[in-house]
Amino acid sequence: MLIIPALLLCIGVALFRRSANAVVEGPKADAPLRLLRWAAGLLSAQRHEWGQAMLGELHQIEGRGRRWRFTIGCVGAALLLPPWGRAGAGVLAMLAVAMGSLGVYVSVITRHRLGAGSWIGVAIVSIFLLSLILAAVPLLRRPGVAVPGLLGGLFVALAWIALSGVTFVNFIVSRWAGWAIPLLMIVVPAVVGVVGTLWGGSAVAGRRIARLAAFSAGLGVYLYGTVAVAVIGAGGPPDDSGFTVSYIIGDRLGNNVGFYLVALPVVTATFGWAAAAATAGVRPQLANADVVPLTAAGGGELVPYAVGPVTPARTDPRTRRVVLQCAVVAVAVLLAAATLLAG
Amino acid sequence: MQRNRPPSAQTINVLRALAADAALWRYGYDLATEVQLKSGSLYPILVRLADRGLLETSWEAGQGSRPPRHLYRLTVTGREYVAALIAARAGKTVPRPRNRLSEA
Repeated sequence: MLIIPALLLCIGVALFRRSANAVVEGPKADAPLRLLRWAAGLLSAQRHEWGQAMLGELHQIEGRGRRWRFTIGCVGAALLLPPWGRAGAGVLAMLAVAMGSLGVYVSVITRHRLGAGSWIGVAIVSIFLLSLILAAVPLLRRPGVAVPGLLGGLFVALAWIALSGVTFVNFIVSRWAGWAIPLLMIVVPAVVGVVGTLWGGSAVAGRRIARLAAFSAGLGVYLYGTVAVAVIGAGGPPDDSGFTVSYIIGDRLGNNVGFYLVALPVVTATFGWAAAAATAGVRPQLANADVVPLTAAGGGELVPYAVGPVTPARTDPRTRRVVLQCAVVAVAVLLAAATLLAG
Repeated sequence: MQRNRPPSAQTINVLRALAADAALWRYGYDLATEVQLKSGSLYPILVRLADRGLLETSWEAGQGSRPPRHLYRLTVTGREYVAALIAARAGKTVPRPRNRLSEA
C-alpha cells in the first residue's frame, strides 16, 4: 500500500523541518513557557500585547507548581478572551455540522431499531465529533488561519464527494477508481498545504491551515457519509442476503466513523503538514516567518518568541492571485474528471 | 458591542488593590497574589478595565535574557470610578463606566 510509506515519509519531512525551526525559538524553555507561548499565539492581533504580558510575567515566577498554575490560568484566559471574530463563526459552523451529523446518526439508529448497543455508538461518535471541534478551536483562533483553513476543508470535502461521482451508493460502498485514493489522500492535502503556506506566508501558518482543513473536512465528509447511510439504508451492494439490515447499517455507520472522523483527518493533516514544510524548504523566507520579536514599548532589546504572527504575513497580491487561480483550476479539473468517470 | 455590567466582586478587589496607591505601577503576578486571584481570572479583568479606559499599561524594560514586564495602574478616570464606586456602594447603586472599546 502506497499510502503508509508516503505517510511515514511526510511525517519525517515535517519533523525534520520543524526541528530546524526550533533553533530560533529563543531562550531555553520549560514546559509551562512552551505552553504559554503556544497559548499567546491564540490571541487576536488586538490582544497580542496581553500574551506578551503573560509571558513576561511567567519569566519572573519561580517554582514548578507556581509556574504551572500561572500558565494554566493564562491558557484558559487566552482561549476564551474576546474578540473571537471569524473564529466564533467558524466554531458555530463546525458545531452545526457536528450536531447535524449526530442528529442524522440518531435518526438512523432509531428508524432501523438498531438496539440499545448502538447508543454506545452515539456516545463514541459524540466524543470523536467533540474532539475534532476542540482540536479546531485553537487553530480557528490563530490570526489568519480560520478562513483559509475552512476553505481548505471545503475543498477537501468537495474533492471526496466529487470523486465519489456525487452518488450516495458509490460513497457508501467505497467504489473508488484506483487513482482516486492517492489523489484524495496525497495530492489534495498537499495542495492545501502548499496553498495554505503561500496564503499564510509561513510554514507554521501553512501547517495550521492544513490541520484545520483536515478537521473541518473530516466533519463535512462525515456528515455527507451519515446522510448517505440515512438515504440508502441497507440498499446497494452487496446484493447477497447474508447479512441483516441492522448489521449492514451498523457496519456502514461504523466505517464512516473510522474512516471520515479518524483516518481522513489524520492523513489529510499529515500530508498537508508535510507539504507546508516542503514549501517552506523551497522558499526559505517562509520557514521562520512566524517568529515575532517581543519588545518593550518604545523599542528595547529584542527577544525572539515564536508566539504567532501579530498580523498574518501575506504574500504579494500577484502571487496570491496566481495561487487562487491554480486552486480554481485544480477544483475544475477534479470536478470534470469526476463527472467523466461517473459517466 | 460590549455590555456595561456592574463590576464583579473580583473586579472590585482588583480596583481596590490598584487604588490603594494609585500612582504606583503594579505587576500582574503581584496583583494576582495580593487579591488571591488566579491568572485566568486576573488577565480578563485587566483587559476589560483597560478597554474601558480605567487602567493604563506600560512596559518595564527587560533585563538580560528576561523579557519586558507589563505594568498597570489606574487612569484618572479609573481613580474617579473607584471613588464613585466606593461611595455608591454605600448608597447601594453602582456606577457604570463608559465603554471605550470602540476608541481603542
